Amino acid sequence: MRSIWAVATNTIKQALRMKIAAIFIILLIVLLPIMGFSMTGDSTLKGRLQTFVSYGLSLTSLLLCLLTIVTSVYSLTSDIDQRQIYTVITKPIRRFQLILGKVLGVVLLDVVLLVLFSVIIYSITVYMPVFYNATEDELVQVENEFYAARASVTPPVIDVSKEVEQAYNKLKEVGQLPEDMSRRDITAHLTSLKKLEKRAAAVGHELIWEFHNVRPLEPNESLFIRFKYDVSVNPPDSQIYSRWFVGDYRQIKYGDVGQTHIYPFERKDPVRTFREIEVPADAVAEDGYLAIGFFNLPLNNTVVIFPLEDGLEVLYRAGGFTPNFFRAVVLIFLRLIFLACLGALAATFLSFPVAISFCLVVFFTATFSNFCLESFNFLGGNLSSVYSYTLKPVIQLLPQFDKFNPTEFLVQARLLSWFFLVRAAGSMVCIKAVLLLLVALLIFSFREIAKVII
Amino acid sequence: MEYAVETFSLTKIFSDCWGRTKVYAVDDLNLQVRYNEVFGLLGPNGSGKTTTIKMLLGLLYPTKGRSVILGGDGTDPKINARIGFLPEESYLYRYLSARETLDFYGRLFGLPAKVRKMRIEALLDMVGLKAVANRAVGTFSKGMARRIGLAQALINDPDLLILDEPTTGLDPIGTRQIKDLILKLAERGKTILLCSHLLADVEDVCDRIAILYGGRIQAQGRVKDLLQQTDKKQITTGAIGDATIERIKQLVQDEKSECTVTSPMDKLETFFIKTVTEAQQQAKPTSGAVSTTRIGDFLVPEKSAESILDKLISAPVSQKASPRPPTTHQVVHTESPESKPDEQLLSKLTEPTEPAQAEHVIGDEQVKTEPIKPKPIQQQEIEESILDQLTDRSKTQNGDKEQGDKPQTGDTGDA
Repeated sequence: MRSIWAVATNTIKQALRMKIAAIFIILLIVLLPIMGFSMTGDSTLKGRLQTFVSYGLSLTSLLLCLLTIVTSVYSLTSDIDQRQIYTVITKPIRRFQLILGKVLGVVLLDVVLLVLFSVIIYSITVYMPVFYNATEDELVQVENEFYAARASVTPPVIDVSKEVEQAYNKLKEVGQLPEDMSRRDITAHLTSLKKLEKRAAAVGHELIWEFHNVRPLEPNESLFIRFKYDVSVNPPDSQIYSRWFVGDYRQIKYGDVGQTHIYPFERKDPVRTFREIEVPADAVAEDGYLAIGFFNLPLNNTVVIFPLEDGLEVLYRAGGFTPNFFRAVVLIFLRLIFLACLGALAATFLSFPVAISFCLVVFFTATFSNFCLESFNFLGGNLSSVYSYTLKPVIQLLPQFDKFNPTEFLVQARLLSWFFLVRAAGSMVCIKAVLLLLVALLIFSFREIAKVII
Repeated sequence: MEYAVETFSLTKIFSDCWGRTKVYAVDDLNLQVRYNEVFGLLGPNGSGKTTTIKMLLGLLYPTKGRSVILGGDGTDPKINARIGFLPEESYLYRYLSARETLDFYGRLFGLPAKVRKMRIEALLDMVGLKAVANRAVGTFSKGMARRIGLAQALINDPDLLILDEPTTGLDPIGTRQIKDLILKLAERGKTILLCSHLLADVEDVCDRIAILYGGRIQAQGRVKDLLQQTDKKQITTGAIGDATIERIKQLVQDEKSECTVTSPMDKLETFFIKTVTEAQQQAKPTSGAVSTTRIGDFLVPEKSAESILDKLISAPVSQKASPRPPTTHQVVHTESPESKPDEQLLSKLTEPTEPAQAEHVIGDEQVKTEPIKPKPIQQQEIEESILDQLTDRSKTQNGDKEQGDKPQTGDTGDA
């Protein structure tokens, strides 16, 4: 353990004294405050905060990721390349201890830097309303929609398999099945069609969603309905006029005498943009039931669709901003641990430039894993079978940094739950990073350290 | 365990990535280095010396054969803890200072902070880098880096010291110091495997040598046996008159042999050291390494007094790990500016053991200006050799590891 610690502190000294870390540290220390005061977003206080947190945290994350890759790779490859390892490995230290020491050093450096920069970002974020001279309304708005950690409830997925079956059989009877498509493709196509149908409101029609287990912290808090419209025909001014009802729908449905209030809203919202409706929390019934009704006013003259993934959800405050921010930082930290292990692995069998490129490719693939997977899926045809047995499993083996993106949570003031964090830690660190580390230890234990010199 | 280092038909073949073009870097090497001897591995460039050492230490894997080092495997941390290794060049972390470098290596050995601090100061003093101890080693000259390299090899007080070209880049005084140090350490029961192509160095210090060429041993044996010209005799006399010389010549001719008469030359090394020492005594400033003649006192046998105690108390504690607080065993360096540098070195090498003395003099830089202490060197030597014998006996009784076949008197120090 002592020797691991010795290697770790030496790695930190190396990163600091060889000025590898210096560039990144100076860049961040200069950039973060500048960003804090120059970014205006949509010029509201909320917009400012969202832009700053989003860019500040993303930049910190990106730079620390790069720093982690560079230090972790450099530390080992330079030892091998400049042969300091000759005198180190012949001391009573096992090879795996050397690797662990290097990774530990990089991770410790990350901890220090991450704490430093997140404290900067946090302070700027918290004190921004003071510097900005925000109005009362804006303060209330950011308190509800930014300085919060909101849980989200999405409408339950409706089972459409029967309808799809029917539609398929119907097509078959009429003999209108497309010939160039397999049954699986047709079913998939029909399923998405049917699902969209459930989320579309024709002109003059309405949509009703029912939610269970909505549990706001306090009855005097607010709920937020976050939604986005898609339309079949774009209205001239890209605006949709609508009427919403939020409350206990069972009162109307079953003629019960209701205790809770039903709130109506008349709205005008742009299409393809996220909007939020604030609803008093007493709209939720005591058993956590809540219904939302949307009425597509006839003057729109177009079908309104709520996109499948993120068309509509209910948000409510479930925690504070500070713990949420903390968890977001931990999420970045998990990323860094993974990259430190990745760097160590690459350094065990590749030379410095190659190892760096390798790590960067992995890093960017992981960052855009969703994009990569989707674009490969889109290829379809003959290529897909080749791809699905080669690249796809590889990409899925990588951690999905975009799926575990902390800034999205903070910008939307969404609750980043401990459960989510533990899940990320489990897949990213406990499984994937440890796996990388094991492979690294294995390779390093068996390779010849010295170069061939005769 | 008869040998400190033993290899059994050790072979290393280098081939390209297709497995072609085989080069036998080391070919069927059977090497035996006995405990407590200075073994020289000689050979021209590319003869496989370094490759052999790397295989011993597990930096390279042998294609065939195996090696046993201190009765174990060269990659075993327990064995590594007893080895000091100086690679062919000092590969150091450029951003660490000399002191930090030694501290780092000390920590790799898991030495407690107190011991580490004591040894680092002693070693820095010994290699003459105390004045630049806080400078980054990246700014060091090659010779200075070499000295740090040597210091790191000694920080664990190793039983086996493997030195690959220890004197490259060193000035003659540094070279002389290293040679003296090697002899001194050998005298204390260490085993030293020396790898060099500087024949003078090897000749001065080694008990046995092996000459490698093309990865094979070409000649092996005791230096004396290999080099002594048994068919010739040399007589050294004082400045005698021509008449006497004629008579001697006559005597030799009677024996039906021939004889030549010349005045012996001083070795250039001796002359050089004498000149520089004189300059030093006139206090000419230098920005380089300071040449001192001290030897880290944890390396010299004060510990023998202690380890005897240790062993009497029983507990076979590892010597390296046992912290030796500075008060239990001290030595006073009675440095004295003597006229002949070699003698001065000798006096350092044969410092007396004075356990009663509680004063620690590490860091005393004005050693050379102290007045001569004509304290009886004879007596010191006697004391020391008694101690040595005690140590040795106790060692053999205890571990049976040191099979010293070397004369244990201090006079070998003056090679």
